[in-house]
Amino acid sequence: MSAQFGTLLEGLTRQRGVRASLIVSENDGLVVDSNLRFGQDGDRVAALAASLYRKARRSAEAARLGSVSFLQLDAERGRICAVGGRGDLVIVVVADPSANVGLIRVELLRALESLV
Amino acid sequence: MADDIRRWSDELASDPSSLVFLQLGEALRRQNQLDVALKIALRGLERHPKNVEAHDLVARIAVDRRDFARAFDGWEAVLRLDPDHLGAMKGLGYVCFQYGRFADAERYLGEAAARGGGSDVTSALETVRRSGNTVAPATEPNAGDPQWLFADLLVDDGQTALLLDDNGYVLGGLYVDDEGNDLGVEIGAQLSGISDEVVRSARHLDVGTWRSITFETQVAVVAMAPAPGNALLVVAASRTTPLGLLRRLLDRCAERSAQWLAGQAVRGGEAGAGDEGGSA
Repeated sequence: MSAQFGTLLEGLTRQRGVRASLIVSENDGLVVDSNLRFGQDGDRVAALAASLYRKARRSAEAARLGSVSFLQLDAERGRICAVGGRGDLVIVVVADPSANVGLIRVELLRALESLV
Repeated sequence: MADDIRRWSDELASDPSSLVFLQLGEALRRQNQLDVALKIALRGLERHPKNVEAHDLVARIAVDRRDFARAFDGWEAVLRLDPDHLGAMKGLGYVCFQYGRFADAERYLGEAAARGGGSDVTSALETVRRSGNTVAPATEPNAGDPQWLFADLLVDDGQTALLLDDNGYVLGGLYVDDEGNDLGVEIGAQLSGISDEVVRSARHLDVGTWRSITFETQVAVVAMAPAPGNALLVVAASRTTPLGLLRRLLDRCAERSAQWLAGQAVRGGEAGAGDEGGSA
């Protein structure tokens, strides 16, 4: 983890139920920086989350809904939250289903502000 | 007041962890310096995330800025920390009233009244009840028309819901823009592609079956969920709608979709049986 994004990612991963936090390049799906719990495959998470965010952004724009600022995927055994919309970077959090997504959203939006 | 603000600002500058941000934020709010007040309050909240009054301050500033979504989140946070907080109940009642959620507004104000909220709460409660009673019941121009599948569930301006098949074609519901144009076909075609990506991501990330995806855009908040028979439910509302309310709307529409699709399947089965009988 680099010093540049370390504090930001640590702050996110400290949230209850968060398994991983990453900064990802939306265009190529590569990890810019990450804070992962043991066993998480950062490259895979980055690629899929970036792809999902990109698809949502393009679809929403095509549907004339404007650009996507926050995205949340809820699944049986986990949650993925992402924020972007400023440049190419997307901040991604992978969390347990029981995690407080409201708090995660607040932290993500705050992190996004400090990122740019 | 200006002296107080200067003094509190100095105090906060020398000790950023001081709780004086509460007084400073409130003073700025009263002076209608809402952007600065919000900034101060959010910084304070960052340092004191469990402070009930900090959440309350953010919510009150948000209401003054007509940012009802943030106000709702703020007062919900207050109630999580202090379930008996009268101000939060009154605030949530007000926000729900603004959204036309009269039943929710009545519930919050009723709780506030039960805890001794005073005459202003009683008066607000009466207003909410009157407003709730004067709202015309949702009409269904043609109950059999799939376009009106969700009509009675969509009570606020800007709320819309669509049920799509696995090709992105509209099965039921409407997607109406500000000018009343039905964009269902176009929106359905564009958004249905997201679900393929969602399925792929959920599978590869080993998080199990997906339940919903929610996203905020510049003009709307959108939630999608899988429906029986590989169908996809899309619900959208105006940008100011709190995500929690959107999720509730999604749940109600999902229930309606499941019932309707089951009904369609039964009718399809009956028709099929009838055809078989006719050809025998």
